[in-house]
Amino acid sequence: MITVEHLTKTFKVSRQQRREMGPAFAGTSIDAVRDVSFTCTPGRVFTLLGPNGAGKTTTLRLIATMLKPTSGTITVGGVDVVKDPVEARKRMGFLTGNTGLYDRLTPDEIVKFYADLHGLDASAYKHRRDEIYTRLGIHEFAGRRIGKLSSGMKQKVSIARTIIHDPEVVVFDEATAALDVITSRSIIQLIKDCRTQGKTVIFSTHRMGEVSLLSDDLCIIHRGALIFNGSYKDFQNQMQTPSVEDEFVRLVEAA
Amino acid sequence: MNHFTTIFRKEFTDTIRDRRTLFVMVIVPLVLVPLLLFVVTKLQSSSMKKAEEKIIRVGLVTNGNAHGLVQLLTDARGLRITENIPADSAESFIKRDSLDAVIVVAPDFDAEIGRMHAGAISLFYKSSEDYDMVKRRLSAVLEGFEKSLTTARFKKLDLDESIVSSIRVEEHDVASAKERFGKTVGGMVPYFFVIFCFMGAMYPAIDLAAGEKERGTMETLLTAPVSRFQILLGKFAVVVLTGILSAAVSMLGIYVAILQVKEIPPELLAMIMGILDVQTIVLVLSLLLPLTVFFAAFLLSLSIFAKSYKEAQSLISPLTFVVILPMMVGLMPGIELDPVTALIPVLNVSLATKEIIAGTIKPLLLAEVYISLVALASVSLWGCAKWFEREETIFRGA
Repeated sequence: MITVEHLTKTFKVSRQQRREMGPAFAGTSIDAVRDVSFTCTPGRVFTLLGPNGAGKTTTLRLIATMLKPTSGTITVGGVDVVKDPVEARKRMGFLTGNTGLYDRLTPDEIVKFYADLHGLDASAYKHRRDEIYTRLGIHEFAGRRIGKLSSGMKQKVSIARTIIHDPEVVVFDEATAALDVITSRSIIQLIKDCRTQGKTVIFSTHRMGEVSLLSDDLCIIHRGALIFNGSYKDFQNQMQTPSVEDEFVRLVEAA
Repeated sequence: MNHFTTIFRKEFTDTIRDRRTLFVMVIVPLVLVPLLLFVVTKLQSSSMKKAEEKIIRVGLVTNGNAHGLVQLLTDARGLRITENIPADSAESFIKRDSLDAVIVVAPDFDAEIGRMHAGAISLFYKSSEDYDMVKRRLSAVLEGFEKSLTTARFKKLDLDESIVSSIRVEEHDVASAKERFGKTVGGMVPYFFVIFCFMGAMYPAIDLAAGEKERGTMETLLTAPVSRFQILLGKFAVVVLTGILSAAVSMLGIYVAILQVKEIPPELLAMIMGILDVQTIVLVLSLLLPLTVFFAAFLLSLSIFAKSYKEAQSLISPLTFVVILPMMVGLMPGIELDPVTALIPVLNVSLATKEIIAGTIKPLLLAEVYISLVALASVSLWGCAKWFEREETIFRGA
C-alpha cells in the first residue's frame, strides 16, 4: 500500500529558470506538488493522470525516494520513505518510459545486478529470473549486449529488472510514453499481472486509452494540486462530457 | 556480496567495455606513447646524422691571407669551398641558400698575426638550420687553425704552451649518477604519469555520472535499496582504479619505449633500470593514490553537476591544462620541494617524485606531501558525497 498525506514539494527556481519562465513569474520557488493526498491499495491500479508539467513525475519520484518532500508524509508498505528510504525501496519496483539500461551490459548482467542490490540469494535469483525470462521471452537474447537489442527487447529487460525482487509496490512513470503499440502492450500486460498478483500499482500517464483500460482508482493532478481523487467508477459516474478525454480537459480547464 | 562490491563490479565491467576509456587508458599510454617516443628519437637521430654528413657549402674570402686556413678547409671532410666571393654579399648568399656559410678573413689578418695580435675572421651562418651543425663543424676547423697558429707562436718564442694555464681545476662531483639523473630527467616522469592518471580517470568519471544521467540509468539506480553514498563509492572506486591503471600503464609504456630505443647509451640504460627499484616504485605509487582520489572526487563532482555527457566533457576537458601547469612549474630550475611547495597539489607530487628518483627525498617533507594530499583527497571525497546527495545537482535540468 502507498499512503500519501499532504505532500508538498517546493523547488528553488534558478536565475536561468526565472529568465526562461518570463516576466510573469516573480517568485524564487515553485510548488511542483501542493498538498497532495491519496492512497493506493494492493490489488488495484492507481492512475495518476495529468498534462505535461502537472507534477506526476515529481510525485512518483517522491514516492520512489529520489526526492525528499518539503512537507507531508509518504509510506510504502507501511515504511516511511523519508525515515527509512532504503527499506522503502526494497518493497518497490520503478519503471519509466526510458528503459534505463546499460548499453554495454547484457540483460543477464543487468538483472543480476539489481537482484544483488535487492539481496536475492543465488537460488531465489535463478528461480525468479527463469520465471520472468520465460514469461517475457528473454532467454534467447539474455547474453547479448543491450546496445544491440531492439527497443521492445530492451523494455522486456527493463521489466525484468523492475520485478526481479518481486516487489509489493510497482511504480510506472509514463512507462509507455515513448513506446510503440506492440511494446506498450507488454507494459500494460505487466500492470494487469501485478494487479492479479495483489501488488500495489501506481502509474502515471497522459494516454486516455490506458486510463480506461487499466484504472481502478484515479487521481488527476494539475499544476501540482489534485483536481480529482476517487475510483474510476466515480469518475465515470460524474462525467459531464461524453468521453474520458473531454472530461479530463473540462476538469483541467475549470481548475 | 555487499552493495559496494556489486556496484563496483558493475561499474568496472561497464567502464572497461567503453572504447573511449580503453583507448585513453591502454592504447594511448601503452602503444601511442612508446611509438611516438620511438619515432621521434629515430627521426631526431637520423636527421642529426644527416646533418653531420651533409656537404657544407662554404664561401671563402681570404684577401690573400690565412693560407693555412685554406689548406685546413680544403682538407676537411664534407666541405665544398668556393673562393673569392664578394665579401659584402656573404649574408645574402646564405639567405638565398646558395651557400651554408661564409668565412671572411680580414685583409690585415697576416699582418696582425705577424705582430702577434689576434687576426679577425668573420663566420657567417644560419643557426636555425640543421641543429647549428654548420657552425659546430666550421668552428672545429677554425679552432684547429687557431691552435696551429698558437703552437707556432709559442715555438717562435721558445716557450712551453703549458705556461698559459695558471690553475688546474680538479672537479669532484659528489652527486651520484642517480641523483643527477633524478634531478634532471626525474621531473619528466611525473609529467607523464600524472597526466595519464588524470586522463584515465576523466572518461569513466564523465560516463559514470553525467553519462548515467543522460541515459536515464541514474534514475533507476537511485531506486535500488542502496544508500547514495554506497552508489557514489562504487563509482568513485572505479574512477580511482582507472586513474591508477592509466598511470601504471603509461609507466609501462615509457619502459617499453626505453627498451626499444637503441640510441640510449648502455650506461644510461643501466642507470634507468637501477632507478626502477621496488622502493622507488612503491613510494611513487603511494603519492599517486591520494592524488588520484582527489582527481576522482573532483571529476565526479563536476560530472554529477553536468546535465549531459557533452556538458561534462566541456567542463572537464580544459582542466587538463590546469593539471599540466603545476607539472611544468615542477620542471623549472630552482623550483624545489620545500614546506610551501609540498602543500600545492600536483606540484608537490611532481617535485617529490623528482626527489624520490634522485634518492634525496627528505622524510619530513614527504610526510607533509602525504598529509596535504590525504587531507585534500578526504575533503574532496566528502564534498563529492555531499554533492551527490543534493537533489538540485542530481536532477539538475530534469
